[in-house]
Amino acid sequence: MVNLYQNIVDYLKNAPEVIQFLWALITTLILIICSLILYLKHSRSRLRIKERIQKVYQKKYESDLIEYLYAGNEDNEISVEQQQIVNYFKKCSTNRLKRKLIITTLLKLRNEISGETADAIQKLYYQTEMMNSAAAKLKHKKWNVVARAINELTQFEIKEVHDQIIQLINHPKREVRKEIQMYLVKLFHFEGLDFLNILTTPLSEWDQIQLLEILQKFDDQEIPDITNWLNSSNDSVAFFALKLAKIYNQFEAKDAIISLLYHPEKEMRIEAIGVLSHMGAIEAVAILKNNFDQLSLDEQIAFFKMMENMHEAHDEEFIIPFMNHVNFDIRVSAMKIVKAIEIKKPNAFKIIPSEKKYPENTALIKAS
Amino acid sequence: MIIDLIQYFFFGFAFTAIVSYILLAIISAFETVDYMKKNSFVNYKEILSSSISPSVSIIAPAYNETLNIVENVRSLLSNHYVNYDVIIVNDGSKDDSLEKLIKAYDLVKVEYLINDQIQTKPLRAGVFKSTNPAFEKLVVVDKENGGKADALNMGLNISSNKYVACIDVDCLLLEDALQKMVKPFLENTDSKVIAAGGVIRIANSCVIKDGKLLDINLPRNLIVRGQILEYLRAFLLGRMAWSKLNGLLVISGAFGLFDKKTAIEVGGYDTKTVGEDMEIIVRMRRHMEEQKIKYKVAYIPDPLCWTEAPDNYKIFISQRNRWTRGTIETLKKHRKIGFNRKYNTLGMISYPYWLIYERLAPIIEVLGIFYFLFLLINNNIKWDYAIAFIVLCYLFTVMFSIITIITEELTYHQYKKKGIGIRLIMTAFLEPFTNHPFIVYAAIKGNFDYYFNKKIKWGEMTRKGMSNDSISKIKI
Repeated sequence: MVNLYQNIVDYLKNAPEVIQFLWALITTLILIICSLILYLKHSRSRLRIKERIQKVYQKKYESDLIEYLYAGNEDNEISVEQQQIVNYFKKCSTNRLKRKLIITTLLKLRNEISGETADAIQKLYYQTEMMNSAAAKLKHKKWNVVARAINELTQFEIKEVHDQIIQLINHPKREVRKEIQMYLVKLFHFEGLDFLNILTTPLSEWDQIQLLEILQKFDDQEIPDITNWLNSSNDSVAFFALKLAKIYNQFEAKDAIISLLYHPEKEMRIEAIGVLSHMGAIEAVAILKNNFDQLSLDEQIAFFKMMENMHEAHDEEFIIPFMNHVNFDIRVSAMKIVKAIEIKKPNAFKIIPSEKKYPENTALIKAS
Repeated sequence: MIIDLIQYFFFGFAFTAIVSYILLAIISAFETVDYMKKNSFVNYKEILSSSISPSVSIIAPAYNETLNIVENVRSLLSNHYVNYDVIIVNDGSKDDSLEKLIKAYDLVKVEYLINDQIQTKPLRAGVFKSTNPAFEKLVVVDKENGGKADALNMGLNISSNKYVACIDVDCLLLEDALQKMVKPFLENTDSKVIAAGGVIRIANSCVIKDGKLLDINLPRNLIVRGQILEYLRAFLLGRMAWSKLNGLLVISGAFGLFDKKTAIEVGGYDTKTVGEDMEIIVRMRRHMEEQKIKYKVAYIPDPLCWTEAPDNYKIFISQRNRWTRGTIETLKKHRKIGFNRKYNTLGMISYPYWLIYERLAPIIEVLGIFYFLFLLINNNIKWDYAIAFIVLCYLFTVMFSIITIITEELTYHQYKKKGIGIRLIMTAFLEPFTNHPFIVYAAIKGNFDYYFNKKIKWGEMTRKGMSNDSISKIKI
């Protein structure tokens, strides 16, 4: 064995430099591989242990929390047992994992119950000073820490930090902005939408859907005036306002929406046509009909979709030539409109003129 | 002199390949950490239940799927996303797939307006919808056989939704897959997302019941295990980096989400290639570059889609053969973009990388083997150099695979069971012998078939079936 080792050493000593370098690399790689295997083994066991610890602590915190809730006295002052639990939670919350588990436990129970018990959990959040630590994180330089803190404050419905949070509304990180928007709307409902007045960064479709979903859950559906947002220089705000107008049938904002038909962005014009169609704004039909040739193809399609619900008998003459339009959507819409007009006519069994090159004309009649 | 040049060439190729893998792995690591941070507190439930969430069509082509079709469709219908429909395109199956679907889902023939924006083979029995409200999201189209790409094109024509998810009918989609995939499309405000791809995981030996993944196991079969490692390497350490560089050239045909308008604008899937999944992405990207529109092909590292991998060499080779031919066809068709500054990252990084390290790599590897044999015959091998290089390359491969396993552990930790860790490490050591030689062989065969055997199109794969023990044949 010693001889073999000596032979290898001798070989490497006498080998060219390139070979020496290659074997040095090989040795390094072997060491790295061994370290990686050990690390993998360690991290797999650590993950398993972490899961076990989590389960144990979760159980412990749940029972402590129940104990805290039942240890209260009648004069609303904190009892000795409660103080002990508060101190214990306070101590545990310095550890990141334990803090996370405590928060999960508090929120889990808080979401299942309401009334005084829920208030007591909220109180515990303050007493353990976890609220202060979350608020302090709002100034953290790492964006994910800030976003997580806002998320936590939202879940505990901490309204006191509103002024601190609103200052971050144009934060460079999309995730932070999203958490702020959720905070404002979840806690301040439609009033929370005031952030739209100062938002200079884009509000993505994803954000918009989430905000609208939250808003629709509230009992109070009194929506503020959206005209300012429709006229916003931030296009995404105007898009969002259009969605609000559609969902909450904002007829008062009809004129502002009609003015969006002249917006420089094509997508905005198309969205406006959709909303006006939903509202049944008959004046928009006349405007679009008069400007039809200036509209882009997508706008023309949107206009025809609008006409499917808002046509009148005298539109037939305008519509009939489009039954042979090169675009499928326009052609189908035109067919539907003409058919609807024909059906309304008493004893009208007129043969609709259509070209045979478009088979859907026949199919449409069958389908309907 | 010539021998020196040849040696420098092989050395340079190996060195640059290793450097590129390391760079991609580093970028992937940063990107994965960033992704995990960003998505650690996203509430997908709000999008899930929203009726204003964008509409998605799941398009699944089916060919002779009779044994599993009913179960597979049920799995697709069990998605938790609200605004979606499922379009099954029965691509001229010769078996009783359609009859089974009609019976299982109470289907009736309907008159359906089809916008023939993309030319496809004509309808056969027509379009079917269910009379049962529980299956109102299901549309079944029966058409003449035209291949997977043609069936997907029919799906594009049929769909009336904004986004289309093109998937293999036997894939298992996780319940939250659609909202995770749709997120980048809705989230990006500075560029248009034209497509998104997800991670494909291998489901062999996993327990699946009623379209749900119940238990994740590591198969005993070494070829499958090798593929698990290979997929993890590609998805966790490769594609994540390409996504960051906005240079992703391929989205797996097993599951990808597309902006329908863009997919139709470029003419849909190419029916003349066997690599239609890669080709459509390259064509969409090329279109966006030529239109000078800012765009992105997104990538989701979450395990969203599980599929069955070949478990014998015959099918494995046949699959890789097709992948090779698909790559050759795509790169040849779009050769204009290669090394062309007009196409930015696509032309200057993605295309050259695929050409050199995917298209040419197996050929260079085989040439290297021949060169080695030539030196051996001429007794001209410097054994100390040769052994050192071989050992070095082998160890690098093993190290890279172990890094992949660690990445999986630290991110998604899907293989939780005790003992799997050590079996994965063993696979890392064995895979260069159990899988790699066959991949190289399949690639060379793919090259040969492409140039000299034009008749070959798709191979047939015998599937064990993920939901039961039945065996069905599907195209791979």
